[in-house]
Amino acid sequence: MSITEKIQAKAKELLDSGTVNYIIGWEKGTFWHQSTPVFVKKAADADKLIWDEFCINSLSTYLIRLDDELKVGLFVKGCDSKGIVRLIQDKQLKREQVVLIGIPCNGMRNAKGAVEKTEPANLPLEQKCIECVHPNPVIYDELIGEPVVIADKSDRFNDVLELEKLSPNEKYQYWAAQFEKCIRCYACRNTCPACNCKECYVDQYRVGWQNKAVDLAENQMFHVTRAMHVAGRCVECGECQRQCPMDIPIMQMNRKLIMEINELFGEYAAGVDLEAKPPLGQFKTDDPEEFM
Amino acid sequence: MKAINKSQIEELIQALAAEGQVFVPQELNGNTKYAPWQKGVQVILDKNVLLSPKDILFPQTEAMYSYVADNLNTAITEVAVAAEKQVIFGIKPCDVKSVRLMDLVFLTKGFEDTFYKTKKDNTLLVSVGCAKAEPTCFCTSMDVNPQVEEGADLALIDMGEEYGVEAKTEAGSQLLAKINSLLKDSTGQLIETTGFQIVFDGIEGVPEKLKGMFEHPIWDEICLKCISCGACTYLCPTCHCFDIQTKKIGKEGYSYRCWDSCMFSDYALMAGGHDVRPSKKERVRQRFMHKLRYFPERYNELMCVGCGRCLAKCPVNVDITRIIGQIKEAEVNGG
Repeated sequence: MSITEKIQAKAKELLDSGTVNYIIGWEKGTFWHQSTPVFVKKAADADKLIWDEFCINSLSTYLIRLDDELKVGLFVKGCDSKGIVRLIQDKQLKREQVVLIGIPCNGMRNAKGAVEKTEPANLPLEQKCIECVHPNPVIYDELIGEPVVIADKSDRFNDVLELEKLSPNEKYQYWAAQFEKCIRCYACRNTCPACNCKECYVDQYRVGWQNKAVDLAENQMFHVTRAMHVAGRCVECGECQRQCPMDIPIMQMNRKLIMEINELFGEYAAGVDLEAKPPLGQFKTDDPEEFM
Repeated sequence: MKAINKSQIEELIQALAAEGQVFVPQELNGNTKYAPWQKGVQVILDKNVLLSPKDILFPQTEAMYSYVADNLNTAITEVAVAAEKQVIFGIKPCDVKSVRLMDLVFLTKGFEDTFYKTKKDNTLLVSVGCAKAEPTCFCTSMDVNPQVEEGADLALIDMGEEYGVEAKTEAGSQLLAKINSLLKDSTGQLIETTGFQIVFDGIEGVPEKLKGMFEHPIWDEICLKCISCGACTYLCPTCHCFDIQTKKIGKEGYSYRCWDSCMFSDYALMAGGHDVRPSKKERVRQRFMHKLRYFPERYNELMCVGCGRCLAKCPVNVDITRIIGQIKEAEVNGG
């Protein structure tokens, strides 16, 4: 059986038995190089579900603010599964609310610029997949497919190392040019499994933390606040950057913070181990405190 | 017909620069958008750019007045709207139509928006037709002519090696006379725009049908995968909702208007805390109802020009063309 067939069979089984209220997976999108999230509520609709080289969307975002009464079946790649761990650790989701079908992932393909239909293998990998550290699901109830060999991805920090060579002024210029582009659509925040606040500070319009004007100062305020807020919790799914319509290299900020945290508190991979507490979410007596 | 060789576009823009600042579609800082022309800029004319020229006439953030509020001493100063002549060159027919739609919103029905009007009155639109559609283009299905749309002052029509040049307004005729030395007489033929991957049978009956679909279960399904970001509304050349906000530092501040998105949680939140569109379903429904029903009811025009920007950039492939299909197929009780 192909993975698509296994997915469909599993979805039918979960829906028929009444184990879950609905299933979240992927279906074919508008174009051949597009697969898109789909919610399946009836076993008869399970045939929509597919698995191919374009199932790039991370599905964990759909579990943010999930109704306590609901139970959902979800297909998870490595990145999706880390989002689930994020939500459970942040007490935004109960483990028993989800049935997780893990799918090891060989990376998704990017068809940007390809007009003619071609074999997916001829297309380049998506950037977030090139940089992916955990292609295998880190949490699941059942695994479909064979685990993928994990490659060393320490070079994903190279961008940050390059940026660090710049002078403070040059760094400012670089980031100012990036933030100038932001249209504040909040796709980065809305897709992020670490952005799971019940009410985002941005939306606390009466308090006025974040002014609605779209200018450099306000854009910087938003991006720096968000980066600091997901520090130590970013699971490196890369969805913020991939979904940004303005191509702002958001992951460079997140990775800079990951590097800082690793250096200060020891190596830590967020969203991998349910039991491992986030470094910024705990206190140890031997924590570095040179700022005191 | 008058025509100009494609190799002479730079000279043409140079000539237009005598009229005022010329905005041209170009790559800037990694994005494609309309920005002031300078000599040597690579002008993008073979496809549409990511950001529509909406921002030139209706800026994302626009100061309206500034104020001082120091106990009983208050003063309000209006912000002068720049009334400088400008030209938008290279605007595609879909975006020309979207400007026409913005005109309806900001200039008709007994209300004139000074901020918009001042800029629009000082703007010349020089459109450039499309020979080839992008995969996400569907303008022809939305009743837009990919070569030339009403609303441009001067229309350049793709004829292969050259552009046919037609004046469409009085201002356009004056402009045509000024650039006459660059033009030649041509018997060339307009090229049929090719490459459309999305073609459907218009939206006849859809605005009417939607009148009976406010409570239809279709919205429960359509909204599910939307992540409630504002990418579609902010990239859309026809979305024109705005909010008025202030920024105050100490005793001084200013009020401005800025784009707003019906996808956002505070959009329909009222004073007192009641939200008339409390969830994603109502917000997504509003977006499509506005485009396909309310706007046609008010202005007799669809509020979608088929530019395909939302389709290209929606993170989760919420596809207005498919939704139109779903609406057509939907069963409605009682007709």
